[in-house]
Amino acid sequence: MASSKRTNRLSWLFPWTQTDTKMDHEQATFWLSQFIGKNLRIHATDGRVFGGQMKCTDKDRNIILAMAHEYRAPPIETIRKAIEESGNPSTPVPWNSRYVGLIVVPGQHIKKIEFEESTYQMSNVTL
Amino acid sequence: MADASLRHSTASAQDQNTILTNNESGCSKAQEQPLRHPLGGITPKIHDVTEKFTKACNALEVGQLVKDDYFTLFESIGAIEIMDPKMDSGFLQPGETLEDDYDCLTPLLPEELIGIMDQLLCYEMAWHTGYPLSQTLFTSLYIDKLLWPETRILERAQFYRGDIPDDKRPGPLLQVLRAYCLALIKGCDFVIAKIAARDYFEEEDFCTQTYNRVLFVSIPMDVFLRELDSAMEVVEDESLEINTALRSAIHSRLEFRKDFLRAQDLDLPLDLISYSWPTILENLGTLKNTHQLGQVVPGAFSTKMQRRLASTVPPRPIVELEFKDALEKLQQLCTDCKEATRFISLPQDPLEYQSFLWFFASRSPAPLAYSRSYLATLLFHPDVLQTSVSLPLSDVKTLVFPASPVLDPVNWTFSPPRNPMLPKPPRLQLAMLVDEFVDRCGQPYLDLWVALGQNRCRLRRMLTHVITGWDMLQADASSVDADISQAAEELGITDQVLEFSLSTWVYHKKLWMIEKIILLGFEQDIYLPDEFSGMYLFLSLIATRRKELLKRVEAHYLRRGEQLLKSRNLRDAQEVDDAGPYLDSLLAEAEGVASLSLALARFYIILLYLHMLPLPKRPFAKEELRYELRMKPFLSLQPPEAPPFEDFKAHTQPYGDFAAPDPAFQLDLNDMASDLWTEVDRHLKAAKEAFADVKKMGPKAVKAEGVATAWNKDVQSALASCIALGVAVAGVKGAVSKTNAASSESLGIKVVIPESGAGKRYAEGWIVAKILKME
Repeated sequence: MASSKRTNRLSWLFPWTQTDTKMDHEQATFWLSQFIGKNLRIHATDGRVFGGQMKCTDKDRNIILAMAHEYRAPPIETIRKAIEESGNPSTPVPWNSRYVGLIVVPGQHIKKIEFEESTYQMSNVTL
Repeated sequence: MADASLRHSTASAQDQNTILTNNESGCSKAQEQPLRHPLGGITPKIHDVTEKFTKACNALEVGQLVKDDYFTLFESIGAIEIMDPKMDSGFLQPGETLEDDYDCLTPLLPEELIGIMDQLLCYEMAWHTGYPLSQTLFTSLYIDKLLWPETRILERAQFYRGDIPDDKRPGPLLQVLRAYCLALIKGCDFVIAKIAARDYFEEEDFCTQTYNRVLFVSIPMDVFLRELDSAMEVVEDESLEINTALRSAIHSRLEFRKDFLRAQDLDLPLDLISYSWPTILENLGTLKNTHQLGQVVPGAFSTKMQRRLASTVPPRPIVELEFKDALEKLQQLCTDCKEATRFISLPQDPLEYQSFLWFFASRSPAPLAYSRSYLATLLFHPDVLQTSVSLPLSDVKTLVFPASPVLDPVNWTFSPPRNPMLPKPPRLQLAMLVDEFVDRCGQPYLDLWVALGQNRCRLRRMLTHVITGWDMLQADASSVDADISQAAEELGITDQVLEFSLSTWVYHKKLWMIEKIILLGFEQDIYLPDEFSGMYLFLSLIATRRKELLKRVEAHYLRRGEQLLKSRNLRDAQEVDDAGPYLDSLLAEAEGVASLSLALARFYIILLYLHMLPLPKRPFAKEELRYELRMKPFLSLQPPEAPPFEDFKAHTQPYGDFAAPDPAFQLDLNDMASDLWTEVDRHLKAAKEAFADVKKMGPKAVKAEGVATAWNKDVQSALASCIALGVAVAGVKGAVSKTNAASSESLGIKVVIPESGAGKRYAEGWIVAKILKME
């Protein structure tokens, strides 16, 4: 992880690598840059979900989110208790959330990426 | 901060709506469910883009970034790396649970209650010394339960939320703990409000972050006092079966909390504030003596609490402060605040205020951020600063305008001529010029006071900036001075007005600040032993300049006094006479500083030539550059204060290089009648006499009556430094005359530089080396 972080940080220093003009690569860049400033939900391997504005990504699929919140499922006991109390196996239980600000989710810890389409403005994102 | 909390408040609304569906295994399907419900209940469309995203990322070049154009490397460094145990406070080690098993509703033993209360006090004081709440009070599970989920109704701030069966309701001791915690939280709210309201504060001293927890901001204090009162009733109640010693220990803790909360109250009227701190101080002994009755409850505090706080910083350990140390800090805080309350009873004189601020900042141990804010709030309190004359003006008057026609109230009674083209009457001109100047010096004056309200290190740094402001003020003052002298000429009163009076006043203040900057530098060990001679020499130069300036003012006083006596204007003559003691004591003090620093400079030069001071190897440093660095704060000043490097070098190294001194040094060294030795003795004697004079004139003359004790101690310590220097000089002299040798090895003595802040120096700013005989 440390090494991936290092290349990630160092890559800021090598902007000339961007001059390559392979078609496929250009498409990828275009497609990814659509998500800049858009809300993404990233599911981490430990089950937490992070929602925030995408700021940056790279080849290793490291993603930087700004103004992110962390969402965490409540512990099993709490869920069990809620089910017992209500008798309904699909009873709603609130998730815990908190503000965590600017975060980077390393690529290897990402299980799933979701794009959250804004409802009150056209997002013009080609999926 | 405001928008962070806004963001968060929407987030907390979201999780109320967030729905989780469960199946038997307890695994959630919630990922399919929306996490956010925007306004109007429209569900946003969620698209799984994992696969394509991964593919697209793979197609990127190594090192290529797809990023927001405005997003910078600098910002990215601040990002928290998720799943890194050192940075991600939400990361769980394998097998670790999010929540603690501690149940806040389990009945407490009285001993445990005392233990928790004392532990809370420890964390409160740790917070006061600068640690964030997340590492101190917010690690308490009880406090967390009271604050989260947030409630605006105090009755609902319980160790539980919602309804619970009666048999699980908290018992009497838990109710007592609740009242204690509530008052503690409200106290924190008061503290934050007081510190954050200051014009100038830095996060390095105190952490006002509350992690999106609201510390009962909107609930008034009397509600908390009532909670404490009813808690005290619970404790006093005979039906509560509890050992008497424990009962009174709990009671005194509640009592303390009540007094403390009242003392912290922001709206406490000025005439009551002086009564609030002594009662707390009296109570502290009881807290100390009953602490051993308590029993620690380790489970009541946990670092895991940080996972629940809105936190953009990595997880950090709990700060442990011993109860003994916490009480000491508390006592210090209360004593400092008690001292600060004396500010409102000072004579209404800006110079008295200035002395008070200076000596408050010099208190040892250094006052905490809260105490300093407490004083600053009093200082800038509208009721305190309400004076008939503007404060800078009365400061100016004291030094340069006693019984001066420039400040004659008559000047302000003239009206300008109707025709704006006509010249204004000269007396009116004087009034307008003075008004203009007073307006102009408002900001620099305020800056000085704000700086004086900081901790010592920041005071030194800020003063270096404040002097540049005063430097510009001096330039403006001299142009006003030119206009004043022109108006005076028209009136034919040139001989009654001190030439360049305003710039003299500004310059005097500026030189005073430069002296303080250098002395603070010594106090804070900014200079290395081999730089002592140079810096003391510079200090002596500045103090001598101030002395010369004051001599000019003195000459004016004498002339003015004579004039007034001749014209039989006895009242004004008396006024000039009354201004005398202040000037005399300033003169004596400047003389003392100049002489003592010169004596020290010469003494350290001798030690340097004798190779008795450590001379660090500086392979890459140049003497000239180091000199420039030391003089940096003063280089831009006008008139120039820092001498050219060549001059400086000639004076600090009169016999050439320290490693290979001129042969004349050896001759002078062995000749006790040479200038080398007599100069030291002469200046030392002058310093002693000057400080003795200052002492004799007393705190009233120098306008430090409000802090007479501290002032006396200060002068006494300067005198003691003189005596210590005398002893040290005699020590070196004796050794030199005995051996006739010129190197420290053969002299049989060694030099010890007393450490700062350890009580080993008589005065922190006057570093006098100790000469010890070697065994």
